[in-house]
Amino acid sequence: MSTPTVVRKRKPTLAKWFRATGWRHLVGIAVVIFAAFPLLYVLSSSLNPNGTLVGSNDLFATVDFENYIALFQRPQQPYAAWFLNTLLIGGISALCTVFLGALAAYAFSRMRFTGRRVGLLTLLLVQMFPQLLAVVAIFLLLNGISDIFPAIGLDTQIGLILVYLGGALGVNTYLMYGFFNTVPASIDEAAKIDGAGHARIFFTIILRLVAPILAVVGLLSFIGTTSEFVIASIVLTDPAKQTLAVGLFQFVSDETSKNWSLFAAGAVMAAIPVMALFLFLQKYIVSGLTAGSVK
Amino acid sequence: MTQLAGAPGTTPAPPAPAVRRREKAPLSLSGILIKIIALSVLNAIGVYALFVLFVAGSWLVFGLGVATLLVLDWIYLSRRALPAKYLAPGVFFLVIFQIFVVVYTGYIAFTNYGDGHNSTKDDAINAIVAKSLVRVEDSPAYQLTVVQQLGTFSFLVTDPDGEVSLGGEGRPLEEVDSDGTSLDGYETLSFNDILNNQEAISAISVPLTDNPSDGALRTPDGTSAFLYESTLLYDEASDSFTDQATGTVYSDAGNGEFASAEGEALTPGWTITVGFDNFVRAVTDESIRGPLLGVVLWTFAFAFLSVATTFALGLFLAIVFNDSRMRGRKVYRVLAILPYAFPSFLSALVWAGLLNPQFGFVNNVLLGGADVPWLTDPTLAKISILFVNLWLGFPYMFLVCTGALQAIPDDVIEAARVDGARNWGIFRLIKLPLLMVSLAPLLISSFAFNFNNFNLIYMLTAGGPRDISAGVNVGATDILITLVYKVAFGAVAGRDYGLASAFAIIIFIVVATVSIIGYRRTRVLEDIN
Amino acid sequence: MTVNIRNLIRAGAIASVAALALAGCSGGGDDTADSENTLVVWVDANRAEAIKDVVSDFESENDVTVTLVQKEFGDTLREDFIKQAPTGKGPDVVVGAHDWLGSWVQNGVVAPLTVDNAGDFEEVATQAMSYEGQQYGLPVSIENVALIRNTDLDPSAHDTFDEMIAAGQGIVSAGQAEFPFIVQLGPTADPYHLYPIQTSFGAPVFGTNADGSYNPDDLQLANAGGDEFAAKLAEWGSTGVLNINVDGDIAIETFVDKKTPYIITGPWNLERIKEAGINYSIEGVPSAGGEPSTPFVGVQGFFVSAKSNNALLANKFVVSYLGTEEVQTAIFEAGKRAPALKSAFEAAQSDPDVAAFGEVGAAGVPQPSIPAMGQVWGDWGATEAALISGTAGDTTAAWQAMAASITAKIAG
Repeated sequence: MSTPTVVRKRKPTLAKWFRATGWRHLVGIAVVIFAAFPLLYVLSSSLNPNGTLVGSNDLFATVDFENYIALFQRPQQPYAAWFLNTLLIGGISALCTVFLGALAAYAFSRMRFTGRRVGLLTLLLVQMFPQLLAVVAIFLLLNGISDIFPAIGLDTQIGLILVYLGGALGVNTYLMYGFFNTVPASIDEAAKIDGAGHARIFFTIILRLVAPILAVVGLLSFIGTTSEFVIASIVLTDPAKQTLAVGLFQFVSDETSKNWSLFAAGAVMAAIPVMALFLFLQKYIVSGLTAGSVK
Repeated sequence: MTQLAGAPGTTPAPPAPAVRRREKAPLSLSGILIKIIALSVLNAIGVYALFVLFVAGSWLVFGLGVATLLVLDWIYLSRRALPAKYLAPGVFFLVIFQIFVVVYTGYIAFTNYGDGHNSTKDDAINAIVAKSLVRVEDSPAYQLTVVQQLGTFSFLVTDPDGEVSLGGEGRPLEEVDSDGTSLDGYETLSFNDILNNQEAISAISVPLTDNPSDGALRTPDGTSAFLYESTLLYDEASDSFTDQATGTVYSDAGNGEFASAEGEALTPGWTITVGFDNFVRAVTDESIRGPLLGVVLWTFAFAFLSVATTFALGLFLAIVFNDSRMRGRKVYRVLAILPYAFPSFLSALVWAGLLNPQFGFVNNVLLGGADVPWLTDPTLAKISILFVNLWLGFPYMFLVCTGALQAIPDDVIEAARVDGARNWGIFRLIKLPLLMVSLAPLLISSFAFNFNNFNLIYMLTAGGPRDISAGVNVGATDILITLVYKVAFGAVAGRDYGLASAFAIIIFIVVATVSIIGYRRTRVLEDIN
Repeated sequence: MTVNIRNLIRAGAIASVAALALAGCSGGGDDTADSENTLVVWVDANRAEAIKDVVSDFESENDVTVTLVQKEFGDTLREDFIKQAPTGKGPDVVVGAHDWLGSWVQNGVVAPLTVDNAGDFEEVATQAMSYEGQQYGLPVSIENVALIRNTDLDPSAHDTFDEMIAAGQGIVSAGQAEFPFIVQLGPTADPYHLYPIQTSFGAPVFGTNADGSYNPDDLQLANAGGDEFAAKLAEWGSTGVLNINVDGDIAIETFVDKKTPYIITGPWNLERIKEAGINYSIEGVPSAGGEPSTPFVGVQGFFVSAKSNNALLANKFVVSYLGTEEVQTAIFEAGKRAPALKSAFEAAQSDPDVAAFGEVGAAGVPQPSIPAMGQVWGDWGATEAALISGTAGDTTAAWQAMAASITAKIAG
């Protein structure tokens, strides 16, 4: 009975802490469990040389890094090359997407011109078209390009990046457009009075202020291109040029010789760049730059 | 920057003055230089491309290329057309790769393109001719040397008895005096020469005798020749095939295939335009009409609920993790986007396994051996699909909401707080409306995406469970696009891209209408700022 | 219209080029560099490895280049080939399964193949690679399912399916295993793996014409034997012999974990079974309905594209290089599927597993390659699954409804 004072003292602090941030940790833990538990299977399977993907509920019964080593020892399936290709294609596509999208979003947000609302609407509608035939159409298109300019046609990574850039305007433009709208026009006005041209305002002022959304769009685009499978598998046929999504699928696509554990190891490593990029971009995404400049 | 990342909300804002200072700097020439260089590169490539096209003789494309280049130059040289300067690069790629798909689908909707009709008439004729060449039974294999004289190829063949003969296209075999590898007055082709003339040589057919019904020699590989007879003969003048054995005539029936008077068709056919046939079939198709209402309702429910649940969870998490006082937010955030970092087809497969009624982790471990038919009960399958889609989709919403939250100036919220607004009030009256400015169009497009979310449905349940007594190939979780897939690609004749495209266009019109209505409502939101 | 669309494509091509900065520049120069005589071959990763040696021989002996493009062996490959062959940009040679042949011929994308020594191949293989009297493919491997028995759990073979199940149930009640028998099914069942059981009731899919080819108008699924099979499916479903929760992964996992004495599976799973150190025997699936149980036999091989610009080269490669004993054996070593060439097949018989699977396959029938078969799978699997899971109601009615639905679809 010597403790009540201590309890009384701590109780309000704990409650206060809980109300302020403690409950957020509870939510956080719940979300992490929700997000991660199905993927524990993938991890567990990647550490088991003979494992199927979901055949067994004994998680982490075996821990063996054999699969991770084996990934780099298959000349017919050059995992290392796939990895680099994915970083390259995803990175370039993401950068270009952010740039093209930001340009368009700036025009839609800051300029008033005929066809503006129709343009915005068209961007939205184009994304909704059922893509049943997209693969056939894109193959034919790249085939036509190949006839004239083989360097950017079928089986070239540049060709694939170009196809991805076709989607640069779209949902992402909207996201940026909304963000641009929240940057007060008074900033542009002030700069204009100082004698800055539209290009200068865009590149040196606006782009900095919208850094969070550029980072978000960059990340979304990177994830989108790295996990894209259907078009990449049609465009890239040379194993050394393929991306992770296309390459990894080969491990499990044969109805009768699936190699789940190798595939799982490959997928686990494939997720690392995405996580790393997010970790890196987080400071931009939540940088609070906007708040400061608006004042 | 590290300081900012550690405590974004509380840091005073140093960048602003820096930005201001730079604005006052005198205008430099670098901008103009960059513009000149970029334009010259663009034009250099453009002119090069035009040159290649000119040489290739593709005049229509050449014309379009000239027009494109001129328009681009005008946009960037003109003092007007300011919006176009910013829109042109993105629109350029959009037109080529996205609009093209739409136009192509539109075109296919008016054709009979699909299995059995997947190429040109010439290809079809060639395929039928090739198919009808049958090797004469018990005929010998001839050793072949290809020779040429004055640019004309001939076959120098040795039969199994060692007899050597010479013949060519339309010139029946004649015995010659030779060892079978060369002939006086003729030049023997090396294998490489043969390869360089493959198309010509594989097209040669050398009549065995003056009587064409004795068959003709052809070579499949350039080193041996075999005797073939044709069961179907193509007559160019009447554009028809005649069966040599029965005398049946197959003529162009006008529907993209050669057919006999009795309606028996030769395969393959070829692609032709069929007007509005596909649209008529799409709206009158029996197999789609019966289950249509239920499927449409579920499609809308699925798309709407998917957006609502993922957005609600994503937004909630974005707000929860947006508190600067919370430690370890970085870690939570990274782990929360995990589902998004894995290939989604893998995730769908994992979930299908997790939800296995007998062996899955959910029933077996979490529910202690329960027997809940997650994916095989019609209602539970729908719930499971929505749940898995929530898992797959919330990180996306979380990311965009986290980004969009940054756009809300802290001072607005401070001001509200000073005015005595509570947390919920701030959220409902200030944050949410501001967020909706940028997020409303995203929600609409997310709706459209899920409306056509073929992959998720296909990998998780393939549309099932199916009520086999219904007699139609439609399951409880089929959405419109998977139904279209089953109808158009599961048809008797195989895949019917023409019909699928017509369906795609009809679906597009439905989704677009819904979206335009939704979009009009965002006009109100837009001017809030 | 064809001209228009082609121009449209070209238009797209040029337009994209105009904007492409350095890529266009660097790429423009070398478009004439690639050699005339390049053979493009689509092949799955497994066989790509196996034919590497013969490819390099072929390249050096004929002074040509062969590009091996790895494709996943499955529906994607089949569809991609149909879409790409007409453009002339598809492969010259493609690997494929015999049951795709119908749709490939229907689309005119494969060229007939003259194999002078067709008699040197197993007859079932040559037959499978033929369609409407023409041979289109060079067969390389033959595969079929069989019963694999864990000889430690059950040392003796059984004459009938019921006896085997009874023995399996005995093993389960003795606590030595968890399942009396296992076969992969999944939510839409698996008519392929169940086919040996079905045929033992005398109910094949199609009847055959005089020349042995399948007759799509003679659906035999729903004969009296079919009804009997349907009733048995429901019975086995309720007694736990068949279980639609068991998919391919779970099935093989269960067997290698020694949780069941019997599994119906193919040679592709042998390696895992061996790795697990299980003593096994491969035999025919015991008859359940009194008649012989005949599995589907699948044949895989190489085909020449109808639109190949290198037809002579492609034919030479396929017939003279891939048809050799050496290559057939190499492909066999890589995938453990029995070779199609008789001499290689006989040599492979020294491997007891191949001999056993081969013996079971000898009683089998080729899986139909006629396009009508495409109309069968969906209803067939869904109905089997409903019967097994006990949701089908009256078994005969369900089975007959399935047959009626399939017949209607085939008739159009």
